[in-house]
Amino acid sequence: MSHPLKSTIVVESVWKGFKIPHRKRATILDNLAAMLSIFEEMTFKYEEFWATKEVSFRVEHGESLGIIGPNGSGKSTLLKLIAGIMLPDRGSIKTDGSVAPILELGLGFHSELTVRENALVYGVLLGLSRKEINARSDSILEFAGLTRFRDAQLKNLSSGMQVRLAFAIAVQTDADIFLLDEALSVGDLEFQEKCIARFRELKKEGKTIVLVSHNTSLVRSFCEKTLYLRNGEVRMFGTSEEATNLYVRDMRTSFIPAR
Amino acid sequence: MNKDLRQQFQILITLAEKDFKVRYRNSVLGFLWSLLNPLAYMLIIALVFSLMLRLTVPNYAPWLLMGILIWRFFQVGTSQGILSLVTQPSLVTKINLPRMLIVISNNLANLMGTALEFVVLLPLLLFFGVPLTPYAILLPLVLICEFVLVLALSLLLSALNLRYRDFDQLWDIALQLGFFLSPIAYDSSLIPVRFQFVYSLNPVTRMIGLARGVFLLQPLPKLSDLIILLSVIGVFLVLGVTVFLRLEKRFPEMI
Repeated sequence: MSHPLKSTIVVESVWKGFKIPHRKRATILDNLAAMLSIFEEMTFKYEEFWATKEVSFRVEHGESLGIIGPNGSGKSTLLKLIAGIMLPDRGSIKTDGSVAPILELGLGFHSELTVRENALVYGVLLGLSRKEINARSDSILEFAGLTRFRDAQLKNLSSGMQVRLAFAIAVQTDADIFLLDEALSVGDLEFQEKCIARFRELKKEGKTIVLVSHNTSLVRSFCEKTLYLRNGEVRMFGTSEEATNLYVRDMRTSFIPAR
Repeated sequence: MNKDLRQQFQILITLAEKDFKVRYRNSVLGFLWSLLNPLAYMLIIALVFSLMLRLTVPNYAPWLLMGILIWRFFQVGTSQGILSLVTQPSLVTKINLPRMLIVISNNLANLMGTALEFVVLLPLLLFFGVPLTPYAILLPLVLICEFVLVLALSLLLSALNLRYRDFDQLWDIALQLGFFLSPIAYDSSLIPVRFQFVYSLNPVTRMIGLARGVFLLQPLPKLSDLIILLSVIGVFLVLGVTVFLRLEKRFPEMI
């Protein structure tokens, strides 16, 4: 409790569970029972699965946080909880300032619409006003390198170009906290550099960036603190150096067979 | 807080605009289809009901067209509204947004299409010899009432459909039944007296009656009709909003 007022994200003892239905029906009777009942809960067996267990950490003002861990360790669930898309079953999450969840690049994009029409939809969903997007549309297209294609339908763009468009809009967002899910590892090398440079700028302006990534060197160079999740639990919360080292060590000991 | 509301409004109109554009993109005739469609529908029904079944309603063509336009608004609006959440899972699971906006914007796009249909096809009624009276001004009010009904049902059904996809199929059947249980092609006076009360509970029946009443002056709507209609819509709206808000917290897990 060193600077309770300066924290931008405070996560305390958060639990989030999912019910996973087992769709296997053994007998004809089971099938009949399932057909007759209106509520699946009566006949389906559910397995309780905890995606995050007792997760606690805090991000101080001006810091960036990396989140690492193997697949299925609860990273994306945690981002959705911070974004307020899902609510925790237990525990509490407090954020100070506006949150821009960039969990899916090009959210709401439609292949039949033009580049500029799509920019408007995505930008508004990320919290920009229509006026702001129209005013910035030239610089968005220039950042994405798509000025020539402004009135082309999205389906005529390569998938790499679509991602660049999405990213160019995403970095225009005015928010205090950015949640990025694997988002930086897109586009060609040149575009990646451009994106990282842009996020460093945002960081300098005092924005908080939460980055979920499998790229440990990116996490180390970008984030002061790192949360290492395993099976929904906090394996380690500390400096990025410590956490990524432990992650790499864990991976080696669990995957290299003993001789 | 105020800024949030303004942003939500911007999201609403942007999504509605997107839905509207996508509907007519990439077809040669584009918006013309939503004019040709009701006209073709009208010809087919006129053929079946007045030529084959020898149904006689005075001034059948404009009378029928009004019924079809009101029915299409309901049918297209609810059948697309029910799918608005399941067809756009990213908007439910990847962003923090009041999910009602997704359904409302879908309904708004449908309202825009319907309004255009009316604007273009109503002059056709004058061509059929229907006199224009000051009552015609009330038609937008009827459409607004119907919009609220479509919205209420879309909220209720889209939320339920997220849990059990059967609702989409069931609603499809209900709409087929609804077409025959509403006085679109025939006059409600054909319904036996003992079923009249139950029959008139169908809000679409009343909606069609109102639209014909204000535009074709047959017969002018009574105040009691209007009150019953508004109460039915009110009940559906409360039900739709309540169910939607109750299930909304679990949408990302249900989808």
